[in-house]
Amino acid sequence: MARVVFKNVEKEFVDGNKETFIAVKESNFTIEDKEFVVFVGPSGCGKTTSLRMIAGLEKQTRGDIMIGDRVVNKLHPKDRDIAMVFQDYALYPHMTIRENLSFGLKNLKQPKDVIAKKVKDASEVLGLDHLLDRKPKELSGGQRQRVAVGRAIVRDPQVFLFDEPLSNLDAKLRVQMRVELAELHKRLEATIVYVTHDQIEAMTLGQRIVVMNKGQIQQVASPTDLYQKPENMFVAGFIGSPPMNFIDVTYENGKVMMEGAQFVLPEHSVQALRAYEGKKLVLGIRPEHLFGEDITMGVPDTYSLTSTVQVVEQLGSENLVYFRVGERMITAKLHPDSDARVGQLKKFLLDMSKVHFFDVKTEKRTSI
Amino acid sequence: MVQKLRDHMWAYIFILVPVLLFLVFTLYPIISAFMMSFQRYHVLNPEWIGFDNYKTMFADSVFYKSLWNTFLFTVCTVPVNIAITFMLAYFIFQLRTKWQTFFKAVMYLPAVASGVTISLVWFAMFDPTKDGMINSFLGFFGMEPVMWLSQTSTALFSLMLMTYLGSHGAGIILYLAAMGGIPKSLYEAADIDHASGWAKFSKITWPLLKPTTLYLLVTGVIISFQVFISVYMMTQGGPDFATTTIAYLIYQTAFMFYEFGLASAQSFVLTAIIVVVSIIQFKMFSTDVEY
Amino acid sequence: MQSKGKIAVLGVSITMLIIWGIITIIPLYWMIIGSFQDSYADASMKISMWPEVWSFEPFSRFFDKTMAWRWLLNSLIVSSILTITNVFFASLAGYAFAKLHFPGRKTIFWILLMTMMIPTQVTLIPLYILVIDVFNLKDSYMGLILPSIVSVGNIFLMKQYMSTLPTSLIHAARIDACSEFGIFYKIILPMAKPGLSVLAIFSFVFHWNDFFWPLLVTESEAMRTIQVGLAGFKFADTTDFGAIMAGATVASLPMIVLFFALQRYFLQGITIGAVKG
Repeated sequence: MARVVFKNVEKEFVDGNKETFIAVKESNFTIEDKEFVVFVGPSGCGKTTSLRMIAGLEKQTRGDIMIGDRVVNKLHPKDRDIAMVFQDYALYPHMTIRENLSFGLKNLKQPKDVIAKKVKDASEVLGLDHLLDRKPKELSGGQRQRVAVGRAIVRDPQVFLFDEPLSNLDAKLRVQMRVELAELHKRLEATIVYVTHDQIEAMTLGQRIVVMNKGQIQQVASPTDLYQKPENMFVAGFIGSPPMNFIDVTYENGKVMMEGAQFVLPEHSVQALRAYEGKKLVLGIRPEHLFGEDITMGVPDTYSLTSTVQVVEQLGSENLVYFRVGERMITAKLHPDSDARVGQLKKFLLDMSKVHFFDVKTEKRTSI
Repeated sequence: MVQKLRDHMWAYIFILVPVLLFLVFTLYPIISAFMMSFQRYHVLNPEWIGFDNYKTMFADSVFYKSLWNTFLFTVCTVPVNIAITFMLAYFIFQLRTKWQTFFKAVMYLPAVASGVTISLVWFAMFDPTKDGMINSFLGFFGMEPVMWLSQTSTALFSLMLMTYLGSHGAGIILYLAAMGGIPKSLYEAADIDHASGWAKFSKITWPLLKPTTLYLLVTGVIISFQVFISVYMMTQGGPDFATTTIAYLIYQTAFMFYEFGLASAQSFVLTAIIVVVSIIQFKMFSTDVEY
Repeated sequence: MQSKGKIAVLGVSITMLIIWGIITIIPLYWMIIGSFQDSYADASMKISMWPEVWSFEPFSRFFDKTMAWRWLLNSLIVSSILTITNVFFASLAGYAFAKLHFPGRKTIFWILLMTMMIPTQVTLIPLYILVIDVFNLKDSYMGLILPSIVSVGNIFLMKQYMSTLPTSLIHAARIDACSEFGIFYKIILPMAKPGLSVLAIFSFVFHWNDFFWPLLVTESEAMRTIQVGLAGFKFADTTDFGAIMAGATVASLPMIVLFFALQRYFLQGITIGAVKG
């Protein structure tokens, strides 16, 4: 049973000017056994620091970290029963692939035949058997990536740690490796903690996703829940591409008012927004939940905005149409056949069942 | 605390020997020299004499002469040598890689010879008779032989000349590395803007090479403040103290007259000058050098 | 599309470089050529740019009158040992300062760095007393070696160099159950080979050419290094230019050969640890 548990974990760094910088704040979560959990967030959000604290490469300032049933606070990385795949692969450049794969096992004083067998098994799984006597610099990016994964597999650890492993690959290879990693997780039946800044990687790989920003966990949830029920504006804006649109509105008397439009809200929304009577709110709607008047996909035209089209991007599978509401630039993801030209005055329909409201101050989503 | 020490035990083991050696052979001597500058040194019972050494030093006309010589030497060599270095680097930069390497090697080569050998060779070349190498070269143009090292008017200049014509290889290599690091696109952009050759040089090349120039300037000043071997080998500070530099004076005071206290006092004046120069260095480089 | 201006610049460049190249090389050329001319014998004292008669006499006089073979051996021993100790300790400490975040790291390194500003003239007298009077190491290899086992400058250089190596490899090795010394020995040293070679070469040349400390710490002819011995020979026998040139050639030829053999390291090594950008 290899759960990974963070209990009130904090990490502070002291920079050159003796100023304390908090990299991770009061972090609490449990990663279940055999779960694939992805940490995602912008750079500097504390996701890599969290991973390194699990590995033992950084020491937390406060709090407890458990792997399996052990508190590992004081354990050396080698004693934590983990393996890690690094962003730059961190292959030992002067060793052959075989030596790279077996280095850890040799250090752990495993018998030679055991090492040989483990290296053979792992290299077969990853299709590296013909490369074992080469040096890392003779390998392609994708092959090096596999060696890095192989080095983790031979250790047969309880927890695999991945630190942005795909970010050095080109786009095509990245998609292919993503699929391979997902398959690998099924085969290994191990706990995987995976760090990335790429939300698509996070959504496709993670069973659960931890969204972080500025050292704080914003939300821990499944990909679908993150998309459908983001807890705050940060998560709403971070997950989904293009990001969710935000529109400043005022709520009054069961109506929301914004520049150029006002809607009477359905009854259940009115109940939820009672506390905001006369106050400002932020309305959030994803680009894919906006429709053109011409191709409505069955959305009623009860709720609509009319604005001048500023830019149209034709992506083939869809058209991204940009227009303004007040100060904010809004994106709509429309059907490729929809008629939208720059300068055209166009009516956009909102799928009101997919709309979120956020508190202006706390940026938290109001429960609808 | 104990836990912390144990976590980092290896780091401390790694620096242990160097730090111990540093304490014994660098830090202790510095402190000792400082104390000595207030003492009349004797192996068994040094005598505290307050500022007497400093008073003696500041009353000594040779001390002022040596400071002046050192200052003159520095001011007349460092900027000139940087200019020579820069021009040579600029010329080499025009060539193809193969020829760049060739000229880098040629310009660097004399730097592998020691100060002693170079001084010996120049001593021979400065031979004051008409058969001396430099004099016979001048004689070729109908000029009279010069008593290079043995008259006060030319002795210090001779030592300067030696540095002008010496190896500028290290500086050239640094300049070339920096020149190679200037993005080509900057010059292309300047071409599009119809910049003249001079404008490209003064607005792009020179400003972007400033860190290298400053580095050479400051290290050059520090080295030239300590000029010693050529003086020791060629003139012994003479004639009539014309080439007595501060470093040579310290050597003389300490190891010819065995006035350790006075020599220490003199060495701290040299330190003060170098520290001031170095502080200027750190001010200028704090953004460029990571430490 | 070579413009006229560019060709002119190229022409001026090549001309100037050839002239200055000759000027730079001439002292070395003259040293070598001078050591094959026996001006002492005909009492002319004149050294020509090309000898009328080639002679090995200056060399045999230099070796006959001095203990030059012994001096060369001394220099070889001292330079070799100091090269090894400097490379080992400077890389070890440089690695610790660059990559291991131990408490006190910045303070200790800062103190080391600050003392680099202090000129050798300051420490020389106490060092002299310490080594000669306290440790009683006059005229010994130990006395020649001890104060220079590892220099702060080399530690600084190695720290700069080590910080360019990827930290992730150290982390990977730590997870791979490698000991801390193992990380240094099995991972860092092999990766740092180019930098270590450069440091080794420059250390060797520096100590071979070093003059001031060997001058102070040695007294008997038998313990002189080649530089100190050569300087002493000059002061003892000022008029025999031929033999002096021969001695200078003997002292510098090993370094010139080394330079031609390892030119690449010399020329690229300069930029290691120097200014960035």
